[in-house]
Amino acid sequence: MNKFLYKPYRWAAIYSIILAAAFTYTLLDTFVLPKPMAEVSNVSLSSKEGSEVTSNFQNTESSSTKEEAQKKAVVSENYYEDENIKITIESYRKYDSKIYVADIEISDPSYLKTAFANNTYGRNITEKTSDIAEENEAIFAINGDFYGFRDEGYVLRNGKAYRDTARSGHNDALVIDKDGNLSVVSEEEESLDSLIEKGAWQVLSFGPGLVVDGDIVVDSSSEVAKSMRSNPRTAIGQIDELHYIFIVSDGRSSDSEGLSLLELAEEFQKRGCSVAYNLDGGGSSTMYFNGKVINNPTSGRKTGERKVSDIVYIGY
Amino acid sequence: MFILAINKSNNKETFKKAVRIYLILSAVAIVIDKVYGAFSHGVDSAAMTWMFLYPLLGGALFYFIIDKLIPHITKFAGCRVFMNLYNSGIATFTVGSFLKGIFEIAGTNSSHLKYYYMTGGAFIVAGLIIMFKIAISKDKF
Repeated sequence: MNKFLYKPYRWAAIYSIILAAAFTYTLLDTFVLPKPMAEVSNVSLSSKEGSEVTSNFQNTESSSTKEEAQKKAVVSENYYEDENIKITIESYRKYDSKIYVADIEISDPSYLKTAFANNTYGRNITEKTSDIAEENEAIFAINGDFYGFRDEGYVLRNGKAYRDTARSGHNDALVIDKDGNLSVVSEEEESLDSLIEKGAWQVLSFGPGLVVDGDIVVDSSSEVAKSMRSNPRTAIGQIDELHYIFIVSDGRSSDSEGLSLLELAEEFQKRGCSVAYNLDGGGSSTMYFNGKVINNPTSGRKTGERKVSDIVYIGY
Repeated sequence: MFILAINKSNNKETFKKAVRIYLILSAVAIVIDKVYGAFSHGVDSAAMTWMFLYPLLGGALFYFIIDKLIPHITKFAGCRVFMNLYNSGIATFTVGSFLKGIFEIAGTNSSHLKYYYMTGGAFIVAGLIIMFKIAISKDKF
């Protein structure tokens, strides 16, 4: 061993190989290797009552409701309306960016849903937003918070807690309660258990909050982590009871620069949102409606949908 | 004791060569940060920005000082052991810092990072112990 350590280049060569292998494994483990942690149970909110029901009853009820409602639906390229769900898509240019806004009204909070990629909770379990949407027969969908890219941040979906570890520092989480109301809470001030006790049904962990009590709570220097540029964005806001605004902007391209968080917040405020929250953006930003992706997802290096961990969607 | 054995192929330029190599590695670390930054859409990371300090201060400056204060330790066989361990520690810290920068820019994290800092620290401490052992034993020869 002594002689081995004494050799001037042998040690360096072997340790370099070990270090390179560790480096590669760390990258693969963080970005690539799937680590499923839980299968998703088929639980959803029952209509009107705001309580959990078992999957068999819900599936039977929802499939008949869905079929009846969708038979009568009025559908066009940027419009959907049936007796329970009304979706209007608007797209326009502003701030040198292409912006897509969905104005959505639903008759029951159970139609605002979330879903995991491959119906599985875990790290590096990913699918395209459109694929997850199709699997869940979503009418409308956006990408979620990409929880599986991190080890921290609350994950509560359909009433089930998957991760109760708060992110360190000042971070906002989005709570969707059993009545379908949105609120922004501080992860360092509220435990996931207390949120569940207060009626949280979904908790997404990205942020920051954009609008709280009708006031914009970000400024021109606000940014996700350390990014300081305009980006593709995905965000969700609420105007009134069961009335929501979803915004996705393209960015990082010559055609569309992307929005700052302040610009995004202003778009929600001018539409009368009392609450709005920023979700995962960049290459993840995707808006899906009636079977197709309607924005132009790009990471800036390559175009096309990025695979993500989860979606927020409207459907039966 | 092996580490106190006399190295017959003693090279007095060993530390100066290490200083030169670490200066080059510091420059490489700066270039890597700049190239990575060019593709990170304005997102930066202190861990990646400052990773060049490990080879610059922990490597070049350290060996420059060692060369001035205790240049004679190159005549001991244990000097190579000290350098192997110490260099491995600096390399591990630098790679750990690079990885931390990649994860910060991507907006994620990894539980593996702490092992890089623990391993790097252990190598450096082990290397320094051997260095001091050689340095304080000079009067024996």
